Amino acid sequence: MFFQHLFSGIVLGCIYTLFSLGLTLIYGILGLINFAHGELYMFGAFLAFYAALLFSANYFVSTVLATVGMVVLGFVIEKAVFRPLRGYHDTNIILSTIGLSIFLQNVGILIFGPDPVRFATTFADISLTFAGITVGLQRLIIVVVTVILIIALHFFSQKTRMGKAMRACSQDLTAARMMGINVNKVTAFTVMIGAGLVGIGGALVAPLYLVSPIMGIKACSKAFAVVILGGLGNVPGAIMGGFIVGIAESLTAGMVSSHLRDVVPFLVLVFALLLKPEGLFSKHIQEKV
Amino acid sequence: MFTKKITLILYAILFVGAVLFPQIEKDDYILHTAILSTIFVLLTMGLNLLVGFTGQLSLGHAAFFGVGAYVSAILTVTYGFNFWTAIFVAAIVSGAFGLCLGFPALKLKGPYLVMSTIGFVHIMHELFLNWYSVTRGAMGIVGIKFPPPIRLGSWSIDFSIPQNYFYLTLFWAVLGFIFLYTVIHSKIGRALMAIRENDIAAECLGINLTRYKLFAFCTGALFAGIAGSLYAHYISYISPDSFTLAESINILVMVIFGGMGTLMGPVIGAVAVTFLLENLRFLQEYRLIIYGILLMLIIIFAPGGLMGFIMKYVSARNSSKADLPQEGA
Repeated sequence: MFFQHLFSGIVLGCIYTLFSLGLTLIYGILGLINFAHGELYMFGAFLAFYAALLFSANYFVSTVLATVGMVVLGFVIEKAVFRPLRGYHDTNIILSTIGLSIFLQNVGILIFGPDPVRFATTFADISLTFAGITVGLQRLIIVVVTVILIIALHFFSQKTRMGKAMRACSQDLTAARMMGINVNKVTAFTVMIGAGLVGIGGALVAPLYLVSPIMGIKACSKAFAVVILGGLGNVPGAIMGGFIVGIAESLTAGMVSSHLRDVVPFLVLVFALLLKPEGLFSKHIQEKV
Repeated sequence: MFTKKITLILYAILFVGAVLFPQIEKDDYILHTAILSTIFVLLTMGLNLLVGFTGQLSLGHAAFFGVGAYVSAILTVTYGFNFWTAIFVAAIVSGAFGLCLGFPALKLKGPYLVMSTIGFVHIMHELFLNWYSVTRGAMGIVGIKFPPPIRLGSWSIDFSIPQNYFYLTLFWAVLGFIFLYTVIHSKIGRALMAIRENDIAAECLGINLTRYKLFAFCTGALFAGIAGSLYAHYISYISPDSFTLAESINILVMVIFGGMGTLMGPVIGAVAVTFLLENLRFLQEYRLIIYGILLMLIIIFAPGGLMGFIMKYVSARNSSKADLPQEGA
C-alpha cells in the first residue's frame, strides 16, 4: 500500500511541479505572483478537451495543440496585463492578477459552461501492474512527460542564449538591461514558457479528473505552498517542493484520512512560512530601508 | 483638502441620511440590500484597518467572517444562548483567531503574507466543512433566529422587521466607524500608517511592530466577527460556501473600489459594490467578468479608488498641496 500511495504522490508531485515552475519562473523574472495561474491550468485542460472533441485529434496531438494555445495566451497576458504593471507597488500587482483570475475564470464559465466535463481518452482505463503496484497508463505518461520537460528546461536555461538571458534577468533586471538584454522579450518568453508548462499540466491531468472552470482555484492555492516551500523564484526548489507536497498529500490521504487531503498543502505552507519563510532551498537576504 | 469641520458635517449628513433611509424607502428588496451593505461596511472597515492603514495585504477576511457567523450560530442554535451573548463571544473568538493569524504573519510581507492568508481561508473552510459534529459540514446550520426583541415597558423593538434589523446593523457600523475614527486620529493610527509606509524605518523610530500589527489583525478580525454574527442572524442559514476565498476577494474589491487607507472609502465602496452587484444581476454570467476587468482597470488607472478620485478633484480645485492617499499603500 505504501508504495502505491507513494506512486500517486509522485504523480501529484509532477502536476504540482509543472504548475509551480511557471509560477516561480514568472516571480523570478517579472517579480510578480501570478494569481491567475490556476486559470491558465484550467484553460489548458479545456483546450485539450476541445481540441480532441472538435478536431477528433488523438490525445497527444490535442495536448500539443493545447500547449500552443496556452503559449499564445501567455503572450497576450504578458502584453496586456503584466507589462503595464511593471514598476507598480506589490499590492497593486497582486490585486490586478486577482482581477485577471476572476476575469479568466468567468470567461471559462461562459465559454465552456459551468458543469464539469469528463475527458475520455482511449487509454485512460489501461493500467499495468508490477511488484504489487497498479500503475495507470495516464499517470505513467504524466511522470514521463514531466521528467522530459524538467530536463528540457534545464538544458534550455543552461545552454541557450535565451535561457542565459532569463537567468541574468532573474538575478538583476536592471543590470541585465544594461548588458544589452532585451528585457521585454525575456519577460514575454518567461510568461509564455510558464503558461505552456501549466497548460501541459492541465492537459495531462484532464483525463484523470473532471475538468471544470473552477478547477484552478484550489490547485493554485496549493501551488503557492509548493513555491514557498521551495523558495519564490527558485526553480530547483519548485521541483523539490512539488514532489514533497505531492507525496505528503498522497501519503496523508491514503494512510491517515482522506478528509485531510486538502489540508496538508496548507499546513506545509504554514510551517514553511513559520520556520523558513525564505524557502528550503534559498538563502535569506536581509532587507534594508 | 476638506477641513476637519466640513468632514464632520459630511459624516453627520451621511449618518442622518442612513437613519432616515428605511423611513423613506419601504421596498423590502432594497432594504435587504441595505442591510447586507451595512454588514459589508463592517467587514470592509476591519479589512481597511489592516490593508489600507497598516499595509498588511490580507485575503483572510472571509475566514474571520465565517468564524463569527459559526460561533454565533452554534451558540444560539445548539446551546440556546442569547443573541447578545453570542455576538459578544463571536467578536472575541474571531479576534482571537485574528491574533492566531497575526503571529505568524508578523514575519511575512507582500506575496508571502497574501499566500499565507489564502492558506488560512482554505484551512478554515476545510474545518467548517469537515468538523461535522459541530458545524454540520456541507449541510450548514439552519434555523438561526432573529435577535430577541428589546422590551422597555410597553415599547419594544422587533428585529424580524427589516427596518429594525437595519438599525441594528447600522448601530454596529456607526460604532465601528467612530472607533476607527478615534483610532486613526490617535497615536495608534499614526504608528500604523508609519508601518505601512516603511516598517523597518518605523521600527527604528521606536514603534513596536509586534504590538501594532497584532492590534490591526485582532481589530480587523473582531469587526468581521461582529459582521459574521449579524449576517448569520439575518440570513438565518450559513454554510461553508459563504466563507470562501471568493468572499475575501469580494470584500477586498469593495475596499479598493472605495479607496484604501481612507476612512470613508471602504464605507462607500461596500455600499456601492453591494448595490451595483444587485443591480447587475440582469447581466448574469457577464457580471463577474466585468467585475474582474473593473478591478484591473481601477488598479492600473485609479489606484486610490473612488475616494482618491474625489480627493484629487477637490485638491485640484483648491490647487493646494493636499496629500493624496498613498497610491497602492
